[in-house]
Amino acid sequence: MATKYGGYTGKVIKIDLTTQKVEEYPINDRDRRLFLGGKVLAARIINDFVKGPMDPLSPENPLVITNCPLTGTMAPCSSRFNISAISPLTGILTSSNCGGNFGMKLKSAGYDAAIIVGKSEKLTYVEILEDQISFKDAEFLKGKTTGETQELLGNKRLGKMVIGPAGENLVRYACVVSEERAAGRGGMGAVMGSKNLKAVVADGKFKIPIYNTDKFAKLRKSWTQYLTKHPITGEQLPRLGTAALLASMQQKHILATKNFSAGQFDEFRSISGEELAEKHLVKNKGCITCPIQCGRVCEVDGKQVKGPEVEALGLLGANIMNSDLESIIKWNYELDELGMDVISAAGTLAFAMELNEKGMWNSGVEFGKIDNISQVFHDIAHRSTQEADQMANGSRFLSQKYGGEEFCMNAKGMEFAAYEPRGAIGQGLGYAVGNRGGCHLNAGYMVVLEGLGLTINPYTTHGKAQLSIFLQNVMEAASAGGSCLFTTYAVFPGFLYSKPNSFVTRLVNKVFPYLGPVIGLVNRWPGLLQVNISAMVPHAAMIKYATGMRMNIGEFLKFGSRGFNLERSINARLGIDSKDDKLPKRLVEDLQIPDNPKSRVPLEKLRKQFYRARGWDKNGSIKKRTLKYYRIREKDLDVIAERPLEIQGEIKVIPPKPKKEKKVKEKAKKEV
Amino acid sequence: MIKVEFFGLYRLNYGMAEWETDAKDINDLLKKLHHYNSFYTVKELKNSIILVNGKNFMDLKKYRTKLNPGDEVFIMSPASGG
Repeated sequence: MATKYGGYTGKVIKIDLTTQKVEEYPINDRDRRLFLGGKVLAARIINDFVKGPMDPLSPENPLVITNCPLTGTMAPCSSRFNISAISPLTGILTSSNCGGNFGMKLKSAGYDAAIIVGKSEKLTYVEILEDQISFKDAEFLKGKTTGETQELLGNKRLGKMVIGPAGENLVRYACVVSEERAAGRGGMGAVMGSKNLKAVVADGKFKIPIYNTDKFAKLRKSWTQYLTKHPITGEQLPRLGTAALLASMQQKHILATKNFSAGQFDEFRSISGEELAEKHLVKNKGCITCPIQCGRVCEVDGKQVKGPEVEALGLLGANIMNSDLESIIKWNYELDELGMDVISAAGTLAFAMELNEKGMWNSGVEFGKIDNISQVFHDIAHRSTQEADQMANGSRFLSQKYGGEEFCMNAKGMEFAAYEPRGAIGQGLGYAVGNRGGCHLNAGYMVVLEGLGLTINPYTTHGKAQLSIFLQNVMEAASAGGSCLFTTYAVFPGFLYSKPNSFVTRLVNKVFPYLGPVIGLVNRWPGLLQVNISAMVPHAAMIKYATGMRMNIGEFLKFGSRGFNLERSINARLGIDSKDDKLPKRLVEDLQIPDNPKSRVPLEKLRKQFYRARGWDKNGSIKKRTLKYYRIREKDLDVIAERPLEIQGEIKVIPPKPKKEKKVKEKAKKEV
Repeated sequence: MIKVEFFGLYRLNYGMAEWETDAKDINDLLKKLHHYNSFYTVKELKNSIILVNGKNFMDLKKYRTKLNPGDEVFIMSPASGG
């Protein structure tokens, strides 16, 4: 279906693995205008398929791979693609973002999105090329790791997304890997495995149209310069990666330790980003089009492998009482090869360790004992022992079977990231209300304001709901547009990070929580912000120049809020309400620091504020007027709304201004 | 002696994780550090996140926070979060 907007190919395909039929899926320009791309467009598509609770491992669960308008346009940090489905880990909508090259290649093949339904009779991989889509036998890839699979699929030009043994064996937190990057969270690898789909490969030569090439190129240049000069994206992330956060987390009491029973780890020095950089870092590596290059290549056992992120350092280190950095690097690599989400695997492991410590289940794993962990991960991926088979279903499953719900560190079934929320209560709120469960990013990533970037009071409830919503909306929109979420760090001016002791920064930190009502107004009526500040928030202008859509900061935030509300409405249909927006008892009742009565998450109060600020009722249901404001029509929420196949006309592209003519004119002027 | 530990970019740029010195207060410590290794100016060092025995010096007496032998000081480069 053609589109009038730049940045899109105008085509979405639906691939049925059961019948091996391929057809175009009707997505029109209204959908593009309202849902943009990435996780939000995927939610709009999944909305068509969800009648009510469904078995995530059934052929009916649609695996929706979406690109964004900026994907493949060479905008900074834009080689991102999204995979969404109903999660086998949580049973609700999940989106998982990945920085590998598959998204760009899918777009090069001429597709904005691919919806995969059904189930192959035997292990298959799908090849998407510009002129043909074929179903190929993948029996020769059976049991192969993600690295081996990509290697065996050959042709380095191809964009690939693959699963490892964990996906094939339906480990509920199996991930999808593209190059060295993973769409980690929510078990998208298990959804592929349930469809007997080992891999999808894509390639083509489709040239993505840009609406205004001149302005796009100019902004791309200035945004790249801004990112390379910003203290976070220009210096800290390139030099130390996300691993730099570990020392800050320790000092702010937010480093999850011993299954979140504490926020500090005495031996944090030996697993810090500094230690990683000094002793193991070989070089930086990053996604295509990224000036930040936050990825690490590390050396362990004489082999160069992808280095761990802060989540791996925290959860495979402090959270299981392990201070051996080499083992973390090794496990991080092994988990990627097996095709398992590091965060959920490590979270489940820590819970199994505590169950064992408390004598509730003899799981075979112990805090601080690391010699059998490699084998345990291998067993989980292959479901080869009784204990591993149960751990492969995630921590919530274990708590339902063996008890310990009060210290099972998950929200809605998804294990938490490495941030202990009793040292940053806004992050705790985010974990509880996030649409995909205990995810730090969908939560709003409040730790960036509560200690890791700015230092607003981490224990106050003032403004936390509004600030969480603001960050959730920014991240949702940035993700839907196709930008890496690290670009959102640069939304706050550099001096707030680089001059933490200055009067202005201290004033901002003090005042920020009390700006809640003002931020709340912006959250509720983002349309009020009809401005573009492309120096600090270039995302909106970049989308505008790529697509030709009317776009400003208000519209950008509105996209984010619309996306968050749409996801919530789908989850509501899957049975989610206020009773699910919760945290384990340990985090809301037990004090993290015995002599600090504020060191727990006052969830009930925060949640109430959050619902009100989001325009939801006390049960966590979206009010009709909120839906109306975001133009989410009730008709859209009806199951499988029939949509006419409208043809929108030709793509209108403003060509770049001929530079030569300009020069000739200037020369002529000079001569005169 | 006061035990000083470096984190973030300071550790990479100074090429050392720990340092021991005598200093009467934070001001004095930063001057001595600049004298020992001039990679950062005192003005730049004043933008550091500094913890004295686990407490942020900005919550104590800022640059006049007294230091005593046996104190542990963490000096972290700014923008170490994000």
